[in-house]
Amino acid sequence: MTESKRPNYIADAWLIIVLAILFGVALAGTQMALGGRIAQNKLNETVGLAHVLVPGAAEGKAEALMIKDQAGRDVRVFKTFDAEGKQIGWLVPASGQGFADKIEVVIGVDTQVTSITGIAVIDQKETPGLGDLITGEPFTSQYRGKSTSAALGVVKTGPGKDNEIIALTGATISSVAVTDIVNQQLAGVREALLAALAAEPKGN
Amino acid sequence: MSSDLTPMERFIRGVIPENPVYRQLLGLCPILAVTNGVATAMTMAGATAFVLICSNLLISSIRGLLKPHLRILVFTLTIATFVTIVDKALAAYLYSMSKALGPYIPLIIVNCLIIARCEMCASKSSLPHAFMDGLGNAVGFALALLSISTVRELLGAGTWFGIQILPQSAWPGWGVLVLPPGAFLTLGILLAIVEWYSKRKKTSAPETSTSTEASAA
Amino acid sequence: MDTFITLLLLVVSWALINNVLLHYFVGACPFLGVSKRVGTAFGMGMAVTFVMTIASMLSWIFTYFILRPHAPVPQWVWELSGGAGDAPFDLTVLSYLLYIFVIAASVQFVEMYVRKNFPSLYKAFGVFLPLITTNCAILFICLEISKRLQDPLKLMPIYEALTMAVAAGFGFAIAITLMAGIREELELCDVPKPLRGAGIALIVAGIMAMAFMGFAGVESGLERALSQFR
Repeated sequence: MTESKRPNYIADAWLIIVLAILFGVALAGTQMALGGRIAQNKLNETVGLAHVLVPGAAEGKAEALMIKDQAGRDVRVFKTFDAEGKQIGWLVPASGQGFADKIEVVIGVDTQVTSITGIAVIDQKETPGLGDLITGEPFTSQYRGKSTSAALGVVKTGPGKDNEIIALTGATISSVAVTDIVNQQLAGVREALLAALAAEPKGN
Repeated sequence: MSSDLTPMERFIRGVIPENPVYRQLLGLCPILAVTNGVATAMTMAGATAFVLICSNLLISSIRGLLKPHLRILVFTLTIATFVTIVDKALAAYLYSMSKALGPYIPLIIVNCLIIARCEMCASKSSLPHAFMDGLGNAVGFALALLSISTVRELLGAGTWFGIQILPQSAWPGWGVLVLPPGAFLTLGILLAIVEWYSKRKKTSAPETSTSTEASAA
Repeated sequence: MDTFITLLLLVVSWALINNVLLHYFVGACPFLGVSKRVGTAFGMGMAVTFVMTIASMLSWIFTYFILRPHAPVPQWVWELSGGAGDAPFDLTVLSYLLYIFVIAASVQFVEMYVRKNFPSLYKAFGVFLPLITTNCAILFICLEISKRLQDPLKLMPIYEALTMAVAAGFGFAIAITLMAGIREELELCDVPKPLRGAGIALIVAGIMAMAFMGFAGVESGLERALSQFR
């Protein structure tokens, strides 16, 4: 952009340098003032669901834990506790390809990873009015209480069997996608969760 | 742009006669992308207004120091800083909104509307002028966002600001309007209506201002 | 094979399904402004692809090494200055400033380089280069790449970012060229007066977006079909 001769660079640019310093200070101030809050908001997206997805869990109380799934990938999971501070379940974030874009899910399971206590879809871009109903109540509550011993299946019309999810009308692919995400993630982290549990000094 | 306008005239010009969206087709990206709900559209309008007014004020107050060949750089720097501030503020206080708007908040940086106002008005006029110009254009932009998002949300989902207006049983909900194609269709039809209306007015009062044709970015 | 499938899915996703123009609406200004002739529209599309590739590579490098949380360079500086443990600062706040500079600089360099070494190419799309600085599509891709570098557990490798940028550029080129083709034909039509110009262009774009919506689901279907090769 500069077409002036070399010696004028500094003289020309002093305003920009002063502005850059001012703006840098302003941004650093913003970051310092708001950074903590933003990080908290991001964490709350998952941890804030503790009492919703794991019945009996204390609100907003969770402890992050890094584990490795079967494929050797790092996964961050959260322990949830009841009011006395005893662990009563896990929150397992998961994501996968949906009909339109990535779907992000948080899965709540009990401490021994025997059954799903609830799921929530926290991010998706499925078709409005059809696929985006996967975030809503009648769909997600189907997962509550399902056993994790076998993979969940999807049927188009109910009533499904014990380990079957009834797909949303007009959004079979989205329904299957959510179910696959849940199946894969639980199969992947199950052993690691139990191992983490066994490694704990208190036992339980 | 003549400089003999009073601040009030500048304000009014930005709102209707030179509406940034309907008249100058500036800032189409947010106009199309965030208008599937009135709430997201109004958040976008607020964020854009903040950036527009702040950068107009800052540019106007340093206009005497601007070197012609470096001015675009200064504009961009200023806009990017204010956008970062507004982006962080949204993430801190309106997290769900910030998530819904996603990349479109940072994309305010390349919104042609703001850089056009900095270039055409703020870098040449005094603080009150620049402020009123920014305010006027922000209001004009907000009006455009409001009109398009109202049409899309009301006809598409039967709601307005998330409140059910058209009864679910009676209104099928034109789903396509909340989807991407609906954005283009709605804006196209609204543009045609505005054009038709102003043409009709022009035949009765021949000397009103001329409309600007579609122009490149 | 796994990598290949990932890249293929990225191409399909960014060129067709999540077309930057028809799905994300970024770059709508040139889409309406420079889509009256097929030749110029194609030139614009290629120029965007070119700059997008370069800018996204640069921003990947900056983001990966400097701007993302837990990036190596700030950590190294922190340790060098005697700090222990993780660096306490996070430079993400500077990313927007940096991206816009990267874009402006790469446009400038591409323009100079092409003008000097490929005069014929410069004639074909050089005029569009300055316009591209304010093209939202480029910044959008930089932001999308940066989003995929925020979580230290899921970092997007550079070749995936490259594929994504090229595919998104082609997506833009496809959309704008198709649009220009339709608009050339439209000139022979009797369009209602108020719709002439931007109005009809937007409606055509709406119908095109509807057609492109037909691609939705191709990605998940393709992934399912290819999963046996993983």
